[in-house]
Amino acid sequence: MSCGNPTVESDALMPRRKKYDKTRQCVRCKLSTGNVVIRYAVYCKECFFPLITHKFRRSLEPSVNERPQGPRRTALKPAGNLLVGFSGGLGSTVLLDLVHRCYVSMDQSTMPSDGGKQHPRHEKIWKRVSVCYVEIAGAFPGMQDSSPDVETLIAQHDGVDLISLRIQDAFDPAWWQRVAGRPALSDLDFDLTTEGTSPLTLLLSYPYGRHTELHLIFNPSSSSTPLEKLQAYLASLPTATAVHSTIQNLIRLLLLHTALQTQSSHLVLGTSLTSLAMSLISGVSQGRGFNLKEEMQEEWVPSVPDPAEDVSSITTRRRYVRVIRPLRDVGRKECTLWTWWTGLRVVAAVRPPWVGARQDIGTLTHDFITGLERDYPSTVSTIVRTCAKVAPKGEVSGLCLLCARPVQHGIQEWKSRISIRTRDVPDAGEQSSAQVPAPLAPHLCYACHTTLTSKSSRPPPALYPEISRSSVAPAPVWVLSFMTDREMFQTSRMNEQDQRNTLKDFLLED
Amino acid sequence: MPPRTCALCNDARAILKRPKTGQQICKDCFFWVFETEVHNTIVEAGLFKPGDRVAIGASGGKDSTVLAHVMKTLNDRYDYGLELFLLSIDEGITGYRDDSLETVKRNQQQYDMPLKILSYDEIFGWTMDAIVSQVGKKNNCTFCGVFRRQALDRGAASLHVDHIVTGHNADDIAETVLMNIMRGDIARLGRCTMICTQGEDTIKRSKPFKYAYEKEIVMYAYFKKLDYFSTECIYSPDAYRGHARAFLKDLEAARPSAIIDIIHSGEAFEVREEVKATQKSQQTCKRCGYMSSNDLCKACTLLEGLERGMAQAAITDRARKRLDAEGPAPDNLRTIPFFQNSTTPGTSTPVALETPS
Ligand SMILES: [Zn+2]
Ligand SMILES: [Zn+2]
Ligand SMILES: [Zn+2]
Ligand SMILES: [Zn+2]
Repeated sequence: MSCGNPTVESDALMPRRKKYDKTRQCVRCKLSTGNVVIRYAVYCKECFFPLITHKFRRSLEPSVNERPQGPRRTALKPAGNLLVGFSGGLGSTVLLDLVHRCYVSMDQSTMPSDGGKQHPRHEKIWKRVSVCYVEIAGAFPGMQDSSPDVETLIAQHDGVDLISLRIQDAFDPAWWQRVAGRPALSDLDFDLTTEGTSPLTLLLSYPYGRHTELHLIFNPSSSSTPLEKLQAYLASLPTATAVHSTIQNLIRLLLLHTALQTQSSHLVLGTSLTSLAMSLISGVSQGRGFNLKEEMQEEWVPSVPDPAEDVSSITTRRRYVRVIRPLRDVGRKECTLWTWWTGLRVVAAVRPPWVGARQDIGTLTHDFITGLERDYPSTVSTIVRTCAKVAPKGEVSGLCLLCARPVQHGIQEWKSRISIRTRDVPDAGEQSSAQVPAPLAPHLCYACHTTLTSKSSRPPPALYPEISRSSVAPAPVWVLSFMTDREMFQTSRMNEQDQRNTLKDFLLED
Repeated sequence: MPPRTCALCNDARAILKRPKTGQQICKDCFFWVFETEVHNTIVEAGLFKPGDRVAIGASGGKDSTVLAHVMKTLNDRYDYGLELFLLSIDEGITGYRDDSLETVKRNQQQYDMPLKILSYDEIFGWTMDAIVSQVGKKNNCTFCGVFRRQALDRGAASLHVDHIVTGHNADDIAETVLMNIMRGDIARLGRCTMICTQGEDTIKRSKPFKYAYEKEIVMYAYFKKLDYFSTECIYSPDAYRGHARAFLKDLEAARPSAIIDIIHSGEAFEVREEVKATQKSQQTCKRCGYMSSNDLCKACTLLEGLERGMAQAAITDRARKRLDAEGPAPDNLRTIPFFQNSTTPGTSTPVALETPS
């Protein structure tokens, strides 16, 4: 529009406030001189620790019991164990410390002072506390493997055990067998013997030649290692943003399945207020608006709920994992102070050594919010508060094959209406033909579909010089298990031989 | 390298790379997809019905110049049966509007559409130049935005139209989604992705270019040889919005679909019911009759501040309180003429249109 600033309606101004109030005295004890300014309020060092511990408990404990309960004094009785998702970064270092102090070593200084020794908080809440670390060095050549450091660190924490995973486990049938208790394909009616000893893999096939859609195809597996499959998958992705968000998603699902495996009803993540704001803006920018709720707090159920079931009772009969971010009220600066004053070491805080990262929406968002926070300190809490006030709109049409989150109904129609990619009128006859492999798009959420298909004007620098970008790539192991519930599996099973014939000219040699 | 064939028709030679999808396509296919996507947007939202009187908010800039062309094209091609008007606002910024109003007058002749020009001076008694001389260059976009919105509605009312279409494009909307999240404006966040908004008694306003990329609008104007004035407002927008705009450009460079992805995100959520219940309900301004969430609408508040030499009054709550503390508005205060909707029969006055030159 005419004015450089067309959408201004009014009130477009963010107040720049002073960094702290007039008094320099601690607002909590009103005795000591303040050491730190947290959102315009001054605190002394002694009051800082109870403040953060309080914020941590306040974000976690109301969600511990299966059903939220009103009175704060009720005993906390979770339905299962606790899994800590540990990245080695700043937030998860603080999270691990807090979980250990509050629930494992039962550090008296973290207990509420009211109620005395009989207070229910003084009893152990979790039967078992595990830490899961996912090493991502396999995704980035030249990246240092931090798992030895993590092992040393966790060994210093009595009473917690470590489950150390690698990102390529997402492509490892043996890992799937361990967490799911069944082979990746045991639920499928494939005659595995005809395929030799190696199991089938599922391949994602990108729009190629005459095919304008994503497809899933079955392929006799090569002897590729999980690492090779991971790298082939990442190398097939069209943008740096896709690489980064895919890695985040692989980590997320590795953690969720590990939570199920360890009978953990709760998975806690070290997302600080600052990183939550970043992930929300980054999510919005990648089309994940329908799943903002899950980005804040998620009740993950590993399969599609049966619509005939009473939704309110699902959690009582199904396995579920409640994902909580207990540091969501604690800013990055406060996390830094916590580690500084407690002498904690952050073992893995480096950005992956890949120049492509500069073109990643997550990285751009990180830099943008960091800059904005300097001038407008309330920005991050405003972002989180705003996103807490919205709810997903529209119907759910199942869970996404890749991220296992609810898919909004009608997104493919939306996309084809406002971003036309073909002038062909869809031919109903051809679509239903046995020659066409199973279309993947209807089983993906908007963001995952965008991750696989949306290109950049400049392709990202190659992650692995020796692997060329391919139009087919292996899918993570859980995709197969997901498909057993779906009608699409029926189609693909019947057409498997046909598909292979159709696709043989663009399937890569193993 | 051999010449590429168009990814859409597989026939003609591709001459451009489409900013929205990255596809390499020919000129005809570009016109076709661009227009068809706008048509799909209009049809899907059920924006118009035959016989509607529709005003195009025309500024002479690229968005509204292309909008006028596309509205005319689609109205003819698909028999929408619309009666189209051009409606222009003269903000009173020296050297900014003069040339672009010439563009609008040329469009009036080319497309054979009636034109109405309305000035801030006429409605509010203030030009933007005069406002800036009082409030300075900071915050003046607040005035401009509030005044333009009311000016368009008033112009539309005088043309007896049912509907105003504006040239807001996908970039504008994506930027607004981000802004509203970052500044916590939950009411606007819920509204800003709507293609059509309608207050209690105002005219419908819609954005047929909601999904059209700014770059493609420029491309369309270029290939159709439409001339327009690419003047940016000489009074700079607020710094915060500037940050959001720069960020959006970075996102678009990283992945061009980002603009549409942000809009999709904005459409995929809604304000939670519990939160809606706490929002202020709409009423009409006690002074000028325009829709408002307070006793006084934004424009009247801004105007009172200007008239009383306390221009910050409508910008911050604290300044508003100071204004109130000064006592009630004097009786001789210059005010906006009372707003009357044209759809109420018998209340409308005859319209003076611009005579084609
Ligand atoms: Zn203190
Ligand atoms: Zn997904
Ligand atoms: Zn073409
Ligand atoms: Zn008013």
